[in-house]
Amino acid sequence: MKTQQTALLLCILVPAQILAETTAPLGTYTAVERRHWSFQSRSTPAAPVFSTPADQAWAKNPIDAFVLDKLVKGGLRPAPEASRRVLIRRASFALRGLPPSPAEVAAFVDDRAPNAWGKVVDAFLASPQYGERWAQHWLDVVRFSETDGFEYDNHRNGAWRFRDYVIQSLNADKPYDRFIIEQLAGDELDPNNDSLRVAAGLQRMGPLRKNAGNQEVASSRTEVLTEMTNIVGAAFLGVTLGCARCHDHKFDAFRQSDYYRIQAYFAATHDKDIVKASQEEQDKYKELAKSTEAEIRKVKAEMKGKDGPELTALEEKLEALTDKLPLPLPALFSVENDFKKQTPIHLLERGEYTRPKDKVGARPLGVLLADGTPERATLPENPRSKLAEWVADPANPLTARVMANRLWHWHFGRGIVATPNDFGKMGLRPTHPELLDYLGNEFVKSGWRLKPMHKMLLMSNTWKQSYDSPEFAKASAQDPENKLLWHASRRRLEAEELRDAMLAVSGKLNAKLGGPSIIVPVDKELINLLYKPSQWAVHPDQAEHNRRSVYLIAKRNLRLPMMEAFDSPDLQISCARRESSTHAPQALEMLNGDFANLMAEGLAARLTKEAGSDPAKIVTRAFELAAGRGPTDSERSLGIRFLADSSRLREFALAVLNLNAFQYVE
Amino acid sequence: MAEHSYPTRNRREFIADAFCGFGAMAMASLDAQAAVKSPLAPKAPHAAAKAKSVIFLFMAGGPSHIETFDPKPLLNQLHGQTRPKEFGEAKYQFVTPNAKLLGTKRTFKKYGKSGLEVSDLFPHTAGVIDDLAILRGVHGDMVVHSAAQYQLMTGRILPGFPNMGSWVIYGLGTENQSLPAYCVLPDPKGALEAGQPMYTQGFLPAAYQPTMLRNGAKPVLNLDFPNGVTSSQRKETLDFLRGMNEAGMKAGDAELEARIAAYDLAFRMQAEAPEAFDLSKETEATKEMYGVGKASTDDYGRRCLLARRLVERGVRFTCVVSGGGPGNMQWDAHGDIEENHLRMASHTDQPVAALMKDLKQRGLLDSTLVLWGGEFGRSPESQGTVGRDHHNLGFTMWMAGGGIKGGRAIGATDAIGLRAVERTMHFRDIHTTILHQLGLNQDALSYMHLGRRERLTEVHGEVIKEIV
Repeated sequence: MKTQQTALLLCILVPAQILAETTAPLGTYTAVERRHWSFQSRSTPAAPVFSTPADQAWAKNPIDAFVLDKLVKGGLRPAPEASRRVLIRRASFALRGLPPSPAEVAAFVDDRAPNAWGKVVDAFLASPQYGERWAQHWLDVVRFSETDGFEYDNHRNGAWRFRDYVIQSLNADKPYDRFIIEQLAGDELDPNNDSLRVAAGLQRMGPLRKNAGNQEVASSRTEVLTEMTNIVGAAFLGVTLGCARCHDHKFDAFRQSDYYRIQAYFAATHDKDIVKASQEEQDKYKELAKSTEAEIRKVKAEMKGKDGPELTALEEKLEALTDKLPLPLPALFSVENDFKKQTPIHLLERGEYTRPKDKVGARPLGVLLADGTPERATLPENPRSKLAEWVADPANPLTARVMANRLWHWHFGRGIVATPNDFGKMGLRPTHPELLDYLGNEFVKSGWRLKPMHKMLLMSNTWKQSYDSPEFAKASAQDPENKLLWHASRRRLEAEELRDAMLAVSGKLNAKLGGPSIIVPVDKELINLLYKPSQWAVHPDQAEHNRRSVYLIAKRNLRLPMMEAFDSPDLQISCARRESSTHAPQALEMLNGDFANLMAEGLAARLTKEAGSDPAKIVTRAFELAAGRGPTDSERSLGIRFLADSSRLREFALAVLNLNAFQYVE
Repeated sequence: MAEHSYPTRNRREFIADAFCGFGAMAMASLDAQAAVKSPLAPKAPHAAAKAKSVIFLFMAGGPSHIETFDPKPLLNQLHGQTRPKEFGEAKYQFVTPNAKLLGTKRTFKKYGKSGLEVSDLFPHTAGVIDDLAILRGVHGDMVVHSAAQYQLMTGRILPGFPNMGSWVIYGLGTENQSLPAYCVLPDPKGALEAGQPMYTQGFLPAAYQPTMLRNGAKPVLNLDFPNGVTSSQRKETLDFLRGMNEAGMKAGDAELEARIAAYDLAFRMQAEAPEAFDLSKETEATKEMYGVGKASTDDYGRRCLLARRLVERGVRFTCVVSGGGPGNMQWDAHGDIEENHLRMASHTDQPVAALMKDLKQRGLLDSTLVLWGGEFGRSPESQGTVGRDHHNLGFTMWMAGGGIKGGRAIGATDAIGLRAVERTMHFRDIHTTILHQLGLNQDALSYMHLGRRERLTEVHGEVIKEIV
């Protein structure tokens, strides 16, 4: 303890200039380390062939062949194909995050064309709702938020544009390699292209600690660089690179020097907000802000050298003045390289900025390079582009596999690698390694486009299996996690899907696309728990409150209780796999919550309008809207009995929103 | 993935011991079944437990050790001088290196059989000193509120990690399925720097989230029926819903059965929880003991009394926050240590002591671990003329009950209260000790997240052996 304290003291006392100038040696990697499965190039496995006509018919595409091969070896059979009603509902949630309309269901059920299913898939992929749904997946991974988090949780002007960038990129089916490069280095590609500048906002997506008083500049910078570095590992490479910040990775072949060599690509990266407003608007803003800004400058000057209550008073004054400033002009939330302010990158002992060790230059992960591959002693003028090129190289063994696996995870509820952010030793091994390589190869071959991949998955017999299976008891005893894909997994709707589906079913969904994020009303007591309750400025137009969930503000210190209850991610750390828990507060939210009851009222009104007052018709319509099918006999008779008292229509509608048949997708 | 699989008690064991000591003994078997399926069903600890519940009296903003439990006569002698070199360096949020040492105006006296010294800020707490283990050598890593609060609450200096309350209910479940397992009673005066994320379950499933108990008559969100709906109407709706859901279910579908069980629990919670929040059931003498009805102590007194009612009913983890809103409404005495601490102590001293006495007289103290303290202490130097800055290098917390040996002080800061120098204790040692008393092992209580086996104590903590 004593010696640690002395060491700490010494570090604080040593002036920053006398940093170690030795360069950290390049990591070396044993043959065993290099042999780790996910560091190998993708193989080109041949699809298994089958001898029986039944198997040959089922294994009509390579996905099915790889899956069937494991099933047969495991002594299991695939489940039969699901009904058209089930298929279109599953596809609608999977691709659009919304339920199919009764008309869409009917049209597909009645379509006798041989390519009926392909048409449905194409239509969903072409709809703008596809981007809205799939953006949420990516936003989870990059822990998208529009606020800083920590104490002040300041709102980031224009941060919503990143969300629209992701939606638009997905809808345009932008090649994934390009998508990577834009997010890592959009500003370097073309500083005059707004969309690219917005994409580069990825570098600023992490939480940001700001506090009053003696700012530890070096500490803050270290935290910022840490966020930028860790997300490269988590989001693109699917490895726990962040674990190598304080010491060599305990399990994977990432040395601490590898971590800081990746960080070195970000050494010159700094925040940049770019005002997007006409000269006239800028002039008007200046005019409005002029007197307040002058006062702010005055207070800031007064603050120098003050402390204690005097300083506190001045800080309060400053805060009040800042609140008086006009609303900020539209801006892009981005980064730029500033080589004059380049941070020298050193290994940090235990990750502490007070303990710098050897310096490092930029280099990709050593275990994926030939031994002795040199680092870049000086940064090129477009450092992040260089990193992005390496990440997005088709030969990078991780990148294509990791994204193909994410696709699989989001469609099947379990990745081929069930730990989508960890392809390292502590992650789970792929259940179908050949299939993963096949998908990676196809992904690259298709020009890194996601839509053909979706189509391929959805056209497969594997995807089209039903939840129920004649072998259910045997198979679920043998493979309860459905690793071998003997049937379709059932899942509860995710928080956003549930909210959006309630809006859709009740007929209240405002389908407007894009734009600044919406703040909806929440309980006053929750707002009062914010450091600055005025941050929660509810949108004045109620119609905006019924927008899709992806357009609601992503605020780190206040998430909607309903979304929290249904396992929405916490916006602090990359989320590759959502939990799906079942607990009593969900029931309270769905039965007593304001939103649930508003939606129930909407659904009740819609049922009256569309089905009149006949209980049988009401029950039928309710099931068509909420479950994508008509009621079973017992459901119908229970419903009719409940609705014998017509005053129960609203409670009926609320019950419908609480049905398994509504909240789950098979 | 079953990263954390404890054998759930079998049904007979569950019925035998889950509901002992509080309320509804005649629990219908249906309810017990429902509880078994809940992610919050009681789970056996890893080892024999001394404590069953925890109450954290969180003194937000950082109460001064120098003004409370850690007398420093030398500081008064050195008042007005700069810090002598031999005490070493320290980094503060605001105070500059040439700041002057600030003596205290508090007076200390020895109390109880233990003869431990307590300042005149806490005359009531002094009366229960023989039950308290005073931890004088505590230290943390961060000197600013948000990061220090995260470390105190979650073991990590960043947001995104589970609060110790979430870890505890993840490990142990809860004994009363009609009440939230982990409750936070925030100070109605406002928010804290680290905000909501410091209390939440981080990456753990939402079942382990805290329930924020709001001020006033309706502390839990969504516990009331919507306007115009009666309990009997809602019961009919729920019966209908259950029938509809069961109509489409296979026998033995565990996930959907758990969902039905969650709805049953929610309904029970609605029926039974309001009773737990109803302080009017308490005697006048009890309310008076907590200072309910007296302006300075009414708020914190009510919340401490509520904490006791929750513990009594089997709630596993309760955090009662003192301080909220602007710094001076917390223990964050930058401007005037005298004014701030006299005021904050006057709000909390009597309720805290009352809680201790009340737990003891009801036989609950043996199984309830009480932790008192803030995210750091305060600087020996003055900020301005009479304020004190944040200070994380050495400060005081205390623990009591739940098998903790009271009437002793552990650890020490140096002669001016700058640095923990003897028997130093990090937050992680506090966390480890709490888990230990609950029968939880810090390594076994883990959750796989992003390729790491995450724990409350990231780096291994040590049990504070002297007090257990």
